[in-house]
Amino acid sequence: MHKWLLRIAIAVVLSPIANATAFAQQPPAAEQVFKLAVSRDADQALRLEWTISPGNYLYRDKITVTRSDGFPLETDTPRGEHKDDPSFGETQVYHRTAYAVVEPSASPPNGTLTVSYQGCAEQGICYPPLMRTVDLASLRVIDPVKNARPETSPSDEWISSEPGTPFVDTSGTTDEQAVLRGSWTSTIFSFLGFGLLLAFTPCMFPMIPILSGILAQSGGRLTARRGAALSIAYVVAMATAYAALGVAVAWSGQNLQAALQTPLAIGMMSAVFVALALSMFGFYDLQLPQAWQSRLSGADMGRSGSILGAGIMGFGSALIVGPCVTPPLAAALVYVAQTADVVRGAAALFALGLGMGLPLVAYGTFGAGAIPKPGPWLSVVKHVFGLVFVGMAIWILSRVVPQWATLFLAGLLFVALGVALLMNFLRRRKAAGAWPSAILAVSLMALIPGALAIVGSVNGPSVRVFEMVGLSTGPDGNAEASPYERVTTTQALDLALGQARQKGKAVVLDFTADWCVECKIMDRTVFGNPEVAERLRDVVLIRADATDYNDDTRKLMSRFDVVGPPTVLFMKSRATSEIPDTRIIGPADARTFLARLDRLHPSTTLTKSGE
Amino acid sequence: MLRKLLMTCAIRLALSLALLMPTGFSSFAQGADTSSEAILNDPSAPAGGNPNGNLTIVTFFDYNCPFCKKAEPDLERVVKEDGQIRLVYKDWPILTKASVYGARMALAAKYQGKYDAVHSALMAIPGPKIPEERMLDAIQRSGVDMPLLETDLKNHADEIDEMLKKHLAQADSLDLRGTPAYIVGRFRVASALTYVQFKQAVADARKQAAKK
Repeated sequence: MHKWLLRIAIAVVLSPIANATAFAQQPPAAEQVFKLAVSRDADQALRLEWTISPGNYLYRDKITVTRSDGFPLETDTPRGEHKDDPSFGETQVYHRTAYAVVEPSASPPNGTLTVSYQGCAEQGICYPPLMRTVDLASLRVIDPVKNARPETSPSDEWISSEPGTPFVDTSGTTDEQAVLRGSWTSTIFSFLGFGLLLAFTPCMFPMIPILSGILAQSGGRLTARRGAALSIAYVVAMATAYAALGVAVAWSGQNLQAALQTPLAIGMMSAVFVALALSMFGFYDLQLPQAWQSRLSGADMGRSGSILGAGIMGFGSALIVGPCVTPPLAAALVYVAQTADVVRGAAALFALGLGMGLPLVAYGTFGAGAIPKPGPWLSVVKHVFGLVFVGMAIWILSRVVPQWATLFLAGLLFVALGVALLMNFLRRRKAAGAWPSAILAVSLMALIPGALAIVGSVNGPSVRVFEMVGLSTGPDGNAEASPYERVTTTQALDLALGQARQKGKAVVLDFTADWCVECKIMDRTVFGNPEVAERLRDVVLIRADATDYNDDTRKLMSRFDVVGPPTVLFMKSRATSEIPDTRIIGPADARTFLARLDRLHPSTTLTKSGE
Repeated sequence: MLRKLLMTCAIRLALSLALLMPTGFSSFAQGADTSSEAILNDPSAPAGGNPNGNLTIVTFFDYNCPFCKKAEPDLERVVKEDGQIRLVYKDWPILTKASVYGARMALAAKYQGKYDAVHSALMAIPGPKIPEERMLDAIQRSGVDMPLLETDLKNHADEIDEMLKKHLAQADSLDLRGTPAYIVGRFRVASALTYVQFKQAVADARKQAAKK
């Protein structure tokens, strides 16, 4: 588990989007900095393409290609950038990408070639030359057999350090381990900061109505102080939930994120929101069981009770929101698992949770002051929140139920809203002013699309109508239009790639998983898009399914340095690796996807340049 | 739009988080020649600075490494100004074939006590791809006894090879990825530094040593 997480972390650091700061400490291995891919141009010329991590460069004149008998082959390389530096002399280098072309006459259809190349990092380190063997038949780049390094074990013998910044902050501790890992305060504050950043992702939106619900229930006693107390209780509990998650991960080594995204867990989350909504509609008062309340000592029973309630809600909310903030949370968990330090890991995640909750505390405190005295408006607000909660429940559920069911439920919600408003209108229709007609208008605005949605969900994908009324949920059923090959092992992938190569077709390799929410969204918005489906007809679509996190799928992901789904790779026909800078990491829309598809069939015009 | 922005933020965040993690635990091969003792105090390795200094800096370098050459004067200056630093040279020719040639010549010069002169001459040629001829030219002008150098190179060929192999193993055990790399006290520095950074490294290494 730890090793796997470490690999993910390395992949994260090395991913093409990494900026130069990713270099801060130990530079990555040269193999990861300069990635070579080989393909054939239309005229059978051999094309070597390098993807170079930012902050590194490849020497133009260090690119050499030799036949297996040692005979050097001529290569065409484009003019590089001039490196003007007294300690470098006259040198041409490439940043980001580089390519070299070997003429068809010099590159036989089979056999092997040896490619040698070399580069440096701007940070101030030069890598030894890299040698790669290219199998001309399959165009595979064969990594040299490396003597297995002994398993790295933590050693306190040397301390890794980075240039530029103070080497290691040793103040306040003489503990070697702590020296090795940076100071406690910096860890805590970093995670607090990251949490704060996370607070502004849409994942946190559901927290606002939940907290508002708690605050609203507190009714007349709502002062800024009380609001602060409630929201702090809520946020601290939320942070505690994250800390618990950290401890659980550090101990169990299980992928809790995957577990949290199972249909069962999602169904339960949805149920929680329904329960919340029912409470908002006044079906019952959301309170702790009487037995618990009476057990709570202290003079002010009701008060401490609802603070505890806020705490419980906070704890639960963290679990609800948890799956939504998966990518950064996973990175945080990597840290925890890697340090294998339960206390520190828990503290770090607690800080993350606190950071996420700080804006909520601000909202609870100052927002509470702004809320006017309770009155009939409070029940209206409660009902609105109830509505939002039901919407949340449907939204959460939409990850696991079919499209039509989501549409049906959404339609039901709108119709219910419309009916409720209509009844309200009937009650007040005698009243003066524009108020009743406004209610009627809103009622109809809810009723009509709601009814349409229900009809549509039953009748199938006549979706355009709903898109027009802003009920866009994407076309349904079209996702099946593009057939794909599902693979879960590297062997199966090789087989599928081989078949694609035989057919001479380009490959789109999509890493997906059932528990990956963003993948589901992309299934609808991208793979379900008719234009995408049409374009995918000329392409072999392979889906690497990481639903089961096992050794096979991990290997599959690490082979392409994939951090996690959704990730999509684009490979030209007969190429062995992806087109540089085309990988889609994380959710993308159909337009981005189509643009990447364009790169699969570019006009391969090569501008030869002499010296 | 917003989603893309947020995703970018999330990726950045993941990156920063990954960066937080301590990296580069060094591994140690079983062989005695990669022990910290051998890295710091190999009596056969060329050394400069103050032999009785209270801090040791080990430099791993290549005679065709532009960053090594750029950083060299700064390193020498810090060692000289400080007066309490012992500087150990580890010829680690990994970049070009000529680098190996240069390293052998420098190590051979050690037998006549002229390692420093040859080393400095080679480090003074700027550029990443100096061929053997240009290296030889610089060595000849360094004031070394050339006939003696040739003889030592021949007679001590095995020792010199052993030495280079040892350095290779040590660099490997330190998980060094390229040149230059430095050991400053207990710190492992995996890239070229500036004068100020060297000074900072030295100060931090001393502070760290004092805490022990």
